[in-house]
Amino acid sequence: MLALIYFIILAVIALGAATCVLLSRHPLYGALSLVVSMVSLAGIYGLLGSPFLGVVQVMVYAGAIMMLVTFVIMVLNGARDSRTPMFDKVSLFIIPAVLVLAALVGVALVRAPLGFDAATIRGSVAVTSETLFNVAQGGPGYFILFEVLGLLLLSAMVAAVLMAKKRLGSVDSENVEEKH
Amino acid sequence: MTNLPLWLIPLFPLLGTILLGTIAVVSSGSKKGAAENIVGGLAVIFPAMSFACVTVLACGMPESGIRETLCNWIDFPLLHVDIGFLFDGLSRIMLLFVTGIGTLIALYSIGYMHGDRGFARFFAYINLFLFSMIVLVLSDNLLLTFFGWEGVGLCSYLLIGFWNKDLKNCKAANKAFIVNRVGDIGFLLGMLCLLSIGGAAVLNYDIFNQFMQMILNGGHLDLVFTLLTLTGVLFFVGCTGKSAQIPLLTWLPDAMAGPTPVSALIHAATMVTSGVYLVARMGKMFCMLPEVLLLIAFVGMFTALWAAITGLFQNDIKKVLAYSTISQLGYMFMAAGVCAFDASIFHVFTHAFFKAALFLGAGAVIHSLAGEQDMRKMGGLLKKTPVTACVMIFAFFAIVGFPGFAGFWSKDLILEKLVSNGPVIAMPFALGGSVNVPVGMILYVVGLATAVITAVYMGRLIIMTFFGEYRGSKESEAHIHEAPAVMLIPMVVLTFGSIFAGYLWADMIGITFFKDSLAAALGGAEAVGESILSVHHVNPVLFAVLGTLAALLGMFIAWRVYANKKIPTPKDSGAPEGSAAAWTFVWDYIHVGFVFPVRVIAWICDVVVDKFLQAFQWTLGAIGEILGDGASTFQVRRVRLQLALSITGVALIVLVALFAEGIVGIPDFVFKLIDSVKSLLGRVI
Amino acid sequence: MELQPIFIQILALAIFAVGIIVAISRRNLFFVLMGIELALNAVNLSFVGFAKTLPAEASLTGQIVPLFSIAIAAAEACVGFAMVILIFRNRESVDADSYSNMRG
Repeated sequence: MLALIYFIILAVIALGAATCVLLSRHPLYGALSLVVSMVSLAGIYGLLGSPFLGVVQVMVYAGAIMMLVTFVIMVLNGARDSRTPMFDKVSLFIIPAVLVLAALVGVALVRAPLGFDAATIRGSVAVTSETLFNVAQGGPGYFILFEVLGLLLLSAMVAAVLMAKKRLGSVDSENVEEKH
Repeated sequence: MTNLPLWLIPLFPLLGTILLGTIAVVSSGSKKGAAENIVGGLAVIFPAMSFACVTVLACGMPESGIRETLCNWIDFPLLHVDIGFLFDGLSRIMLLFVTGIGTLIALYSIGYMHGDRGFARFFAYINLFLFSMIVLVLSDNLLLTFFGWEGVGLCSYLLIGFWNKDLKNCKAANKAFIVNRVGDIGFLLGMLCLLSIGGAAVLNYDIFNQFMQMILNGGHLDLVFTLLTLTGVLFFVGCTGKSAQIPLLTWLPDAMAGPTPVSALIHAATMVTSGVYLVARMGKMFCMLPEVLLLIAFVGMFTALWAAITGLFQNDIKKVLAYSTISQLGYMFMAAGVCAFDASIFHVFTHAFFKAALFLGAGAVIHSLAGEQDMRKMGGLLKKTPVTACVMIFAFFAIVGFPGFAGFWSKDLILEKLVSNGPVIAMPFALGGSVNVPVGMILYVVGLATAVITAVYMGRLIIMTFFGEYRGSKESEAHIHEAPAVMLIPMVVLTFGSIFAGYLWADMIGITFFKDSLAAALGGAEAVGESILSVHHVNPVLFAVLGTLAALLGMFIAWRVYANKKIPTPKDSGAPEGSAAAWTFVWDYIHVGFVFPVRVIAWICDVVVDKFLQAFQWTLGAIGEILGDGASTFQVRRVRLQLALSITGVALIVLVALFAEGIVGIPDFVFKLIDSVKSLLGRVI
Repeated sequence: MELQPIFIQILALAIFAVGIIVAISRRNLFFVLMGIELALNAVNLSFVGFAKTLPAEASLTGQIVPLFSIAIAAAEACVGFAMVILIFRNRESVDADSYSNMRG
């Protein structure tokens, strides 16, 4: 019963914050609402017995990614495009479409028989990391994925640096010349 | 026994290739090129180190040879090949002169290639060639030998076309490469045949020998005889390609387009002898196949004779030597054809020395005349370039078989073996009855005639180059100079080789060192061959006398014909004309006969098949394009709207899925609607 | 009444729907990216929710996959915002509809 109460509180916060993202004008407010949403999702992870995942959620999403988002928004002064309307004709079309889709999937979900299993393992740090780094021959082999992920992050970083770097002779500098 | 690993031998030239190749690539942008003394030093040091390794190993080699497996190369049920090396009596001899002469010629090239723009590139190629040649000789299985075989072919191509600014050189390189490919197909098919007879591991020489021994001992020869004969013929086709025998010999004269040291190293001393090496290596198989042996012997005979006669008409000094090389290779195959593999390898060995000396001498002559190769514009060089002349004359004595010189021992040995091992074949007549043909005698007589002709054309070369009056222009005469010391030293060393190399196997004075050293690697094959061929012993002195007489006769004819003959004023081209040209190019014409139908087929493929396929392709493509253009008009050209539409589509699909699963009930009015539509349709129809 | 798995799925579905709406209906590029993050989060929640309905070892998979998903989301955000910076520099705008270079 208590778990349900906590869940309802966290769910309302998460969904409310998500709606705030949808409705906020300035990207910065949107980003901050997103942080709230993510933190409450982390709470739900903890509630469900995956504390490790919750901590990672806070650290990576609410910490690192949202830091990046707010930083970029501030650097680029994203408020400058206040001229663009928040919603347009496409929006009027998309919102009902998505809602219908969600409703349909929801119907299917509600019909499906689901129940918590008693023997579920609690995803504590020890258990999770043991499974993740199980290098045994017949093991789950997540460690390979983990290594590949390292490579992916590295290449993403290199790509980001390369793309965001200001290049000589780019369209940017040509545009400047044209203006003169 | 030493603990030196075998892979050191090919490693050094490989390192040299990599290093010099890097230098060549790096310095290609600069105006001057890399410093010549550094590049030259490097280029000589790597082959020299390899030679040192071979020498050390050769001294401590046990009788049965050294075997070493580096790693597995190919391993699946049909084929098992290791990368391994085999250092026995045969590969020892080959390696000694390949690396030794390779080092000397690298040294010589420093002088010859001085000032050339591609100096570093040249030496990178030379090192790569030595690496491939060492792999060819040292490998312990046929597939790795084939790797080296292709490697030397590649280097030959690269070096013939070394001065690639000239279209003629490029064409010569292409010709060499393509003609060699024909032979290589024989080699490959031969390997396949062998695999089909002997199983997965038979490509290894040791297993190959055991397998052949097993066939022989078990008396199973008649079971596999047809296939084995085919294998032998295919391998021999491979050898004719590499060793320039009839019918695949046309590439070697053209290969003289490369720098002269290359001609000396690749197209005279080492690469072209790899065919002889292969036949000797597979002697165990060839000795069981009398028909193939006969084929080899006769091909060798015709090649020797034809090339010698052609050599008479050449005006280009290098062309004469090229045809002489072909002729000498013919001798080697003749010897192999009567199961005298050791004699043929011995001739390979001595020939490497004197032919390299001759080519280097020719190179020195060309060098001193600033690139002139036409003998008609030479003459009287004996006084101007005495050392080169001496080298050439000594090598000349060696090649004609003058008593005491290297060629005397090896060539007379071959001639002797031709008679002693030569089979006697019963030739059936068409009308019945048969006559015994003494094949050995035929081979011997032709061989002796070839020896006379050899002396004639080589004498002509020497006389036209070094004696008489200088026939070139006056201003060029002033520039004639002796080659630098760096070129003379290798020449002199090779001259000593061409005088004394023959004493390793001087039957008449009782030295059989060479034969003994090869015995472990070849002995089995010879014994089998000799038992099949019914050897009868002959008196070696008689053959020596006859051989000497042949050489003297040839030299006398050369002196009578050419010494005082008025030499016609040269035309622009060094190629022979008239009936001589017909002799020279007869095999080229025959090749054209083969190439023409291929061209016709290629034309048909190009015009008919290719165009047909293209039309088919275009039709398909056009259909796709039209459909795509039609479809793209439906496209909504805004990303967000597209996404929205696709989500709607997903929603529809989910809806259908839910209906289909029965999770969501279909309302009754839908069924009523469908019914009414049906009845409406029914009434209309 | 106890906490049911279906509640978690419904919540995940709702957040996913909001995320998709944000990503598509908003024209500001920052909102597009944030919407995608939101949708990814909803999927993670769904994973964990379903994991809890499975016994023993099987339930761990559902708790480890979100870890990878989070890491990939980090990589995606990294590259995505670099692209936003690049595009913004070229066009001086963060309006998604103003980029129509690829229009067929």
